[in-house]
Amino acid sequence: MDPVLIENLLQRIVTGVLVGSIYGLLCTGLGMIFGVIRVINFAQGEFMMLGMYATMIIGGMLATVFGLGPATGAYLAIVVAAVVLAGAGWGLQRYVISHVSGARAAGSDNEGHFAQLILTLGLSLVLSNLALILFGSSPQTVQSSLSSSSWTIGPFTAGAITVFVNQARAIGCVCAVVVSTALYFFVHRTRAGTSMRAAADNPTAATIVGIDVEGAYARAFAIGTGATALAGGLIAMYYPVNPYIGVEFVIIMYAGVVLGGMGSMLGAFWGGFTMGVVQQLSTYFLPFQLQNATIFILFLVVVLLRPQGLFGRSAERT
Amino acid sequence: MLKLDKVETFYGSIKALKGVSFEVPDRSIVTLLGANGAGKTTTVRTIAGLTPATSGTITFDGKRIERLKPDRMVSLGIALVPQGRLLFSELTVEENLELGAYSRNDKADIQLDIEKAYAQFPILKEKRGHDAGTLSGGQQQMLAVARSLMSRPKLLILDEPSLGLAPLIVEEIFGIIQRIRDDGTAILLVEQNANMALGISDHGYVLESGEVLLSGTAAELIRDPQVQRAYMGHGDAGGEPALQDAQH
Repeated sequence: MDPVLIENLLQRIVTGVLVGSIYGLLCTGLGMIFGVIRVINFAQGEFMMLGMYATMIIGGMLATVFGLGPATGAYLAIVVAAVVLAGAGWGLQRYVISHVSGARAAGSDNEGHFAQLILTLGLSLVLSNLALILFGSSPQTVQSSLSSSSWTIGPFTAGAITVFVNQARAIGCVCAVVVSTALYFFVHRTRAGTSMRAAADNPTAATIVGIDVEGAYARAFAIGTGATALAGGLIAMYYPVNPYIGVEFVIIMYAGVVLGGMGSMLGAFWGGFTMGVVQQLSTYFLPFQLQNATIFILFLVVVLLRPQGLFGRSAERT
Repeated sequence: MLKLDKVETFYGSIKALKGVSFEVPDRSIVTLLGANGAGKTTTVRTIAGLTPATSGTITFDGKRIERLKPDRMVSLGIALVPQGRLLFSELTVEENLELGAYSRNDKADIQLDIEKAYAQFPILKEKRGHDAGTLSGGQQQMLAVARSLMSRPKLLILDEPSLGLAPLIVEEIFGIIQRIRDDGTAILLVEQNANMALGISDHGYVLESGEVLLSGTAAELIRDPQVQRAYMGHGDAGGEPALQDAQH
């Protein structure tokens, strides 16, 4: 095989793993909301978008005010944005979506899903248009040199093959893996995490054993929006942001969560990871414009062969 | 232990309980009998705070509880085995037991109680890693009882624990209920299986259309011709819904 082709393929795999990990965190956030507590949030993409703008704007401010480097400022801003947007998610669930989810929707025909869909779709429109007014329609980027800096691996085979590791993507990958792992252990191994799964599984039973169901839902929602905003910030380090970017990514998020298997945090991560790897690899074989089409073909194949998703335990919720 | 005084509850615009009064004394088993739609489950939901009372008082352990939120009841000492069991079907057997102790903070003791539950219900130990939804009906009922005991309740309310179970398993469950009482927990048992329920009870109340129709010691109720006709399959009350249900 031609070393140039091998180099090309290796490069795509490396980039796919880096981007896939960040998509994994993006999906873990939605997995918390759509997978674990089973609430439909179409505004999830806008939380990502807000995370991206916050990283750019707050990051720039922090860098100027405290004289930090643009990258340091941006990473600090990511943490701030994640916390603030987690708070916003908490409020959204506690005071708005709680009217059509959890105990109040239990027993209704569609468990409140139609109302959640309309409600959050509306919110999504409001937020993206608000961003359009505030930030304008042209794509903007974080002022940092990380996105154009790389570490090199190689050269191998007498200088024929060299792989570049983009620094912004690599740092994002490490952060995403660490946060996703922490969230997995939180949901599956702690009392608070178990109470969230219990509240979603059977709200009445959860109330009977003493769980504050509304509170558990709000906390799960906060973690979900915070994680997605964080992932958005990591993406903003190498990808331009525009007011409509949420719509572009929310579909990938839902596909990732379903691909991995509803209710499984691990599944949500690997679902997102697969999306990223396939998206990058597809450009090796196919024109760039078809990369999202490839994702959905893969999605269809998985759903046909394994309806419960890669990590799901059952196709039907009992 | 538990005292209801002229409790009224509405389901939407329907008055489901029309001034229900009864009492569950310490260390006793009290049975609530009645046909479908008599208000048994509403009574249970009202005590648990899931369908709050619109008037009347409920006193538990000397405290008024009729205005409390349902998730506060368990820490007072009221545990509920609801109709249909309401397990966390996608969580494991062990997680279900752990959640039964959600209101407690003594981690080491909780672990001991889980071991106790496994000693009492060996099948649950065998299935500890399985999803609760994969258990058989009888096993699920045992898990529901075991989960409720994990809160170390002073009062245990069981809503139709025999529903849909084979006679041998029902007998086992009733044996367990007696043991729980002997360990010092008061029990409110809601049943259509009047024979078995009164057989292990101290007192009984018969509900009809949201009102207490009859009350007395279990021995009195067993001999009562009205109870025999309606709930025990004696006499000729062929069209009674209670009779049909008793034959399941």
